[in-house]
Parts: sequence; C-alpha cells; structure tokens
Amino acid sequence: MVNIAVLAKISLNLNLLKIESNGKINTAESPLAISEYDKNALEEALRIREKFGGKVICISVLTWGPVNKKLQDAERIMRETLALGVDEAHLVVDDYFDSCSPLETSLAIASVLRKLGNFDLYLCGESSMDVSSAQIPARIASILDIPFITYVAKIRIEENKIFFHRELPNGVQIIEAQPPLVVSVTGEINQPRLPTLKQILQSKNKPLIKYTLKDLQIETKAGKLNQWMEVRPVIRKNIIYEGSKLEEIAQDLINNLIQEGVLKI
Amino acid sequence: MTSNIIVFSEDSKIINDALHVAYSLSEKTGNLIALTNSDENAEEYFRNFDEVYVTKKDLMPDQWASLLRKVFLEKNANYVIAPHTVNNNDILSFLSAKEGMHMVSNALSFQEKGDYYVFSRQVIGGRGISYIEISKNEKIALTVPLKVYPKINLNKSPLVKEITEIPNSKINFAGFEERKRSGVNIENADIVIGVGRGFKNKEDLKLAQELADAINGVVGCSRPIAADYGWLPNDLWIGISSKIIKPKLYIAVGISGAPQHVSGIMDSKVIVAINKDKNASIFKYADYGVVADLYQFLPTLTKKIKEMKK
Ligand SMILES: Cc1cc2nc3c(=O)[nH]c(=O)nc-3n(C[C@H](O)[C@H](O)[C@H](O)COP(=O)(O)OP(=O)(O)OC[C@H]3O[C@@H](n4cnc5c(N)ncnc54)[C@H](O)[C@@H]3O)c2cc1C
Repeated sequence: MVNIAVLAKISLNLNLLKIESNGKINTAESPLAISEYDKNALEEALRIREKFGGKVICISVLTWGPVNKKLQDAERIMRETLALGVDEAHLVVDDYFDSCSPLETSLAIASVLRKLGNFDLYLCGESSMDVSSAQIPARIASILDIPFITYVAKIRIEENKIFFHRELPNGVQIIEAQPPLVVSVTGEINQPRLPTLKQILQSKNKPLIKYTLKDLQIETKAGKLNQWMEVRPVIRKNIIYEGSKLEEIAQDLINNLIQEGVLKI
Repeated sequence: MTSNIIVFSEDSKIINDALHVAYSLSEKTGNLIALTNSDENAEEYFRNFDEVYVTKKDLMPDQWASLLRKVFLEKNANYVIAPHTVNNNDILSFLSAKEGMHMVSNALSFQEKGDYYVFSRQVIGGRGISYIEISKNEKIALTVPLKVYPKINLNKSPLVKEITEIPNSKINFAGFEERKRSGVNIENADIVIGVGRGFKNKEDLKLAQELADAINGVVGCSRPIAADYGWLPNDLWIGISSKIIKPKLYIAVGISGAPQHVSGIMDSKVIVAINKDKNASIFKYADYGVVADLYQFLPTLTKKIKEMKK
C-alpha cells in the first residue's frame, strides 16, 4: 500500500487572462484551471494506486482571490480531481492567501498535511504554469523534514527499490530513495486520463473539505509581499489567410515574406 | 544596513553569474561569502569573495542544503543568492522554508524603491512579468538567471576553507545518462520552422524538413515533440524551458501558441503560423497566419518555392 498526497495548484487559466489596458493582469477577474503538470502528478498517483493500492488525496491552496469570486471555480477544479479518482480533496480558501508567495502557500499545505497524518509520497508538478517559482516541493520537504526529488520524468519500482529519473538540462540523473519523499514530476512522465461520465457523477458524493486561515496553524515572522503582474504587449500584423485556394495563398505568403526581406529565393 | 551575503552554487563555474546582484545588495560594505564546489579554475572565480567555503566533492541537494544553512546561520547573513539552476533553486527553497524566508526565483532585475527592493521575474510562461516588493529588512533568498547581469571583477584575496565534515544524504545517486543532441544550433539560424502536435507521426516531420531544405532553414519544435514523444532531440525544443530564439523568420506549424512556447519566439522578426484551427492562440502572435491543414498546405508551399527557384 502506498498513500499519496498530491499537491495541485489552482492556477490562472493562461488562455483566458483578463488583461487591463495598462497591461496589468486582473487576477480577480481571470478564470482558473488546474496547473498543467499537476495533472501529471495526479495521474502518476492514480497509476501507483492501481498497482499497489492505498489512498490518494489532493490538497490545494487557493492563491487567487477574492474568495467570493473564485470559490465556485476552485471547487469545480477540486471536483475534477475527485472525478479522476482522488479519494478526498482538501481546499484552503481564505482571502489571506490572495496573491500570496510560496512561503505562505507551503505553510498552509504543511498545516493541512499535519492534520491528515503521514503519506509515503507527496507528488506535485515541477512548477506551476502561472507563477513557476518551483519552490513548493523543496519547501514542503523542508517543513516535513524529508528528502525531495524534483523534475522526475519516470518512476521505476524494482523489488524493494524505487528509482527516479530526473530530467535535467544536460541529461537524465537517476536517484534511488525510500519514502517518505516529496517528488515533483515533468509533463513527460505520463499522459493524464480524462474522467468518465460515471466518475463525474460519483464525484459529487466524495469528500471536499475546506479550511480557512483560522483552521490552520501558520506562524511566520516574514511580512506579506506586495506583488503584481503585467503582460508584455504583442505587436504583429495579424494578416490571416483562409479558404481553399492554397496555391494562391502560398504564392501571396511567399511574396510578402520576400518583401519583408526574410526570405530569399 | 550592512549585511553579509552568501553566494551559493553547487557548481562553482557559474557562481560569478550571481555576483553582480550580490555585490549590489551588499551595499558594498557587507562581506561576500561563497559556498560552492571546487574546480580546476576555482581560484580565479574565488577572487571576487571575502571568504570561500569549498567542498572537494560534488554533493546531493540535501547535503548542500544543510551545509548552506550552517554557513548562513554562522555568518548571520541577510541574503542568499545563487545562479538559477534546478538544483540551486531547490536548495535555496529548502533553506528558505527552514528559516521562514521569502524567496524570489529567477529574478530578472531589481530596483531600489525607498525602504524596499522591487524584483521582477517572468511569469505566465514568460509572457508576463511579475514585480515583487520586499522590505530591505527582510532576510531573503534569490536565484538569478545566468548571463544576464553584468560581469564584475573585485580582485580580493579570499580566505578559502575546505569543508571536510559532510552530512550524509538520504537519497542515492544511481546513474546519469547523457542526452543526445542534434548538433544544430537553432539559436543562430535565420529561418526556423517550428513543428508541434499538429503532426500525427514522426515520419510526417519530413514535410517540415523539406520546406526547411528549400528555404535554407532548420527545424525546431514545441516541447511535447521533444520531451513527450522524443521525435526530435531536446536541444531543438523552443520556449521558456529551453531555447529562446530570434530568427528573421519563424514558421509555426501545428503549434497552438501556448505562452510557454510563444515566449521563446517573441523577438523573431516575422512570425508565420499554419494551423487548422482559426481560433488557435498562435494567430495572435503571427504576422501572417494560414488557416489550413498542414498536410495540404506544407507540400503546396514547398512546391511553390521550388518552382520559383527554377
Ligand atoms: C512550466 C511549463 C513549461 C513549459 N515549457 C514549454 C516550452 O519551453 N516550450 C513549449 O513549446 N511548450 C512548453 N510547455 C508546454 C505548453 O504549455 C504546451 O503544452 C505546448 O507548447 C503545446 O505544444 P503544441 O502547440 O505542439 O501542441 P498543442 O497545444 O496540442 O497544439 C497542436 C496544434 O496543432 C493544430 N493542428 C492539429 N492538427 C493539425 C493539422 N492537420 N494541420 C494544422 N494544424 C493542426 C491544432 O489546432 C493545435 O492548435 C510548458 C508548459 C509548462 C506548464
């Protein structure tokens, strides 16, 4: 039996960002989505459970507020994880965490984890798709005082040993280690499944437990940081060709590229 | 505030990439203390520091993390700065959690603003920038990108101490496999054709290669083509987590235009997109967009170019 806690980020949906005319991202009005590689972490947890049995829970801290605008979207995302096969979902929602930094997020996750007891593996994506600090895995390991292995593209279990293949810029590093461990995974580790209709219906009866700041024990001397995000402007010609006359389109495109001085024939 | 600053890198070859930021934040009066491994040219890198703690061996991240914490506490330091690598970022995160500190990963720039520093970093897959204000009184950890900040030469005569007491690691090294490389340098090419998941099979990539051959370009790809499918070597993958390119002409074929990909091509002179979905994001970033099936349009385009050459 392997018990697994998946740490999943409720990220901004990068395709639906609300951008103000001054380039600032209006996070309050931007819809949410589960972070890309956390889906792979979830999938890996489900595969391990299929082989070895055990329990899979999912924890998330809503870091984009305000809660009154975002709660429904956040709950929908947690329900999706339940539909995929997670046994219990745990969600921290409190305006205290609006636009917070990895320091506060990791304290909240660790505080929920302490209530739930020990797990063998703590799985998450290599980094979140919106903020991409990649601090959470090592921070959680540090608070729990256990080792961490990041950027894992393959987990191989052989007899009593577990091997982790780390995808590093110059090659693959192989690590052998025993649980408990915090492991972050890359997109190449697996192809996440989609839930069936039956699973989606069943997920309504599974536990989704919510916490606010007062349910957690969070102590920090560090102040909360002020931060904001802006999007780099895009200035392009946006000339679009449509239709079935591919030869003509090709000819026109070639002429334009020659005129731009970027193509020589 | 006079402050001691620890500059850390598990690899001493890149330690000076973090020097400029460290030196600026030390307000020129704090001591610069390095913790790193040794290397045949290490003496030269170390001349920028007041004190150097060095190990003769390569260590695992958890071993580095406990050594770093020891030095950080002993030296009563306010800042820890490292060149940004996967392991350095993890090691600083581990320390930051132990010490209850904030950390800024991959800080692109910093500015003073009264009692605060404002750091910037890339977010939204490189399409956005976030600005983070931190009080000068906070202890913080920072990683900074390689080759971004100016080089400086301080020419000090450091006190070098070898660390001989190395804590045990709880994880074991079990091997390393070098990655295969294409040998093609897509960063220097004038014309790059980017292939994405719109291609159904590895063999079909020849459609892009034929176009590339006809216009003297090279083929690059989106992340899944290299990382998930292994159809092309990793050094051809374009985007925030790999190669940033600025060719004269970039042609995205069967690529949806995810921010992590687009941030790697933003500075191309002209961008062309070929995609059968007219709502694909890539069209927002394109000068010329062709809404068509690549399996029909690519051969047509290549044929036309070959005809014109005759
Ligand atoms: C932290 C992080 C880092 C990342 N780093 C990178 C990175 O550096 N580089 C990168 O590329 N990605 C990166 N990604 C992944 C990125 O989010 C996308 O998943 C990826 O870029 C999508 O690749 P794609 O466009 O090839 O595939 P898809 O998004 O699947 O797009 C395929 C496109 O092909 C089109 N298509 C399908 N069939 C045809 C046809 N017959 N003719 C024409 N068009 C067709 C479709 O309409 C679609 O638009 C990263 C993600 C994260 C979370």
